[in-house]
Amino acid sequence: MNSNLTQLGLPAAETLQSYRIWDSYFTPSYSHPGADGSSKVMADVERSLPAIRKGHFEKLCWFPHIGVGTTTDNDFEELVQKKPNIILKPFERWPTLLLGMIQLNANNVSASLDAINRWLRDGPMLGVYFPGGGPSAMTCTHRNFHPLIERIADLNGVIMQHTWFKTGGKTGPAESTPAELAQLAARFPQQKFLCAHAGGEWEQGIRAVQNSPNVLIETSGFDATAGFIEMAVRELGAERIVFGSHLPSRSLGTELGKIIAAEITEEQKKLILGENYRRLLNKE
Amino acid sequence: MNRRDLLNLAVSVGTASAVLPTIAHARVELTTEIHQIIDTNVSLFRWPFRRLPLDNIDGLTNKLRSLGITSAWVGSFEGLFHRDVAAVNTRLTNAALDRPELTPIGSVNPTLSGWEHDLQQCATAHRMLGIRLHPNYHGYTLNDPRFSRLLNLASAAGLFVQLAVSMEDTRTQSATMQVADVDLSPLPAVLEKIPAAKIQLLNHKLRSPLLQQLGSHPGVFFDTARIDGTDSIPKLIASLPSGRVLFGSHAPFLIPEAALIRVHESDILDETGLRSVLSNNAKQAFRKAMV
Repeated sequence: MNSNLTQLGLPAAETLQSYRIWDSYFTPSYSHPGADGSSKVMADVERSLPAIRKGHFEKLCWFPHIGVGTTTDNDFEELVQKKPNIILKPFERWPTLLLGMIQLNANNVSASLDAINRWLRDGPMLGVYFPGGGPSAMTCTHRNFHPLIERIADLNGVIMQHTWFKTGGKTGPAESTPAELAQLAARFPQQKFLCAHAGGEWEQGIRAVQNSPNVLIETSGFDATAGFIEMAVRELGAERIVFGSHLPSRSLGTELGKIIAAEITEEQKKLILGENYRRLLNKE
Repeated sequence: MNRRDLLNLAVSVGTASAVLPTIAHARVELTTEIHQIIDTNVSLFRWPFRRLPLDNIDGLTNKLRSLGITSAWVGSFEGLFHRDVAAVNTRLTNAALDRPELTPIGSVNPTLSGWEHDLQQCATAHRMLGIRLHPNYHGYTLNDPRFSRLLNLASAAGLFVQLAVSMEDTRTQSATMQVADVDLSPLPAVLEKIPAAKIQLLNHKLRSPLLQQLGSHPGVFFDTARIDGTDSIPKLIASLPSGRVLFGSHAPFLIPEAALIRVHESDILDETGLRSVLSNNAKQAFRKAMV
């Protein structure tokens, strides 16, 4: 038996525990939670648990639909407007594991402002997520974002904006690129923004936000392409990188692999895998 | 003892001990020892669009060894664009000469004059066990008669064929060099006429019904490199006849740790299942390669 024992690609359990992993981008049943508001989410959390355990994750943040038109299911939207607490079932089941950031609809500013008050001011949500597709997507340079960002900033909320730089152009006109997020972020220099997926095409994504110190990149959502984290650390610094798993539609291997296999220091891995996100959430 | 045995490493799998208060007794004990891992999808030399951390052969082989990968089937990134394919295959063979863990897989481009000679060189001069094709980078479809002829000749020469369906997500490619994934829909009909062919599809993201259609051909095998989702590899295995899914990482373009973790992260595969996908299926599918 060779002394170089590994866990098929994973570091030792003690090492993983030392990273104190907080996942900023957990996507159980991302597009629809189930007709009752939670059943599909619960099933996908269960489906993810083996990977969550193997990764020794401490916390995972997911993005509930809260009835502001982020799904195409009118029945569900009506149900959750009447009974908003139905979205809380996963948090009740896994109270120490799950965190939440509400999905917003910038096309509906009034409802989104109400939702910010309902879920951020009064808790338990920690921030908001602006999607890149579906009925609520809107390019983040639109002026509708301004009152929403102002209110989120008042409440010290965290903002996750879906971004992609797609070769050949946007799939839909409402998508946002990292360059567009950089424009929005320049208007609100005191507010931190998370650039989800680092733009997917990360070489351009990193460059687009390089001069936006209030933008941090999130690491999930694309293949485990080698060199991503090394470039991000070099150009942005490890303090501006936040880990996301995109479980279960993507994998522990793809997403954790990007960080643990990167040629960076252990301290930098700890920043990326949890410390930066905790600081953003004021959970240090 | 053959050259593979020299490099057998022991790898203990997935001892996880998460302490998550809301997950009852969340402790997984799995001490399976995997003595052999065959990575069927590795490439040598430089990726044309970016320097990769493991694009040097020593760094790559050290990494694979550290992960317990005892054998790597290596193609050449040079095979994508170079037209002097003979030189590409000679460099690949030379690079693998003193590295018994590397099994060179030749490049053949059937749109180039004289490709039959390249194929013959792979089989005879280089004594390769297989070849790797890139129809999308080389500009032909699977309906092309040259593809059928190549499959026939490769099969007659005892060479297995790896067909790279993609090399990079189309959404992240260079704007000046966009290459669509290979359209596999003609392949079932082609294989009907060449029943002896053995072909492995690399970097695919196949779905039903084409996946099952291809899987019904006993000579078609699949790799795992771009199969994402926490339980997607066990699902892929379950959707195909036994023995068809072979571990592949697409290193060094993709991170090899990612591919390895994906195989076992869902805890769905038992010890036999892990051994099958990590080595046994490759040995059985392309038995000659393991001799």
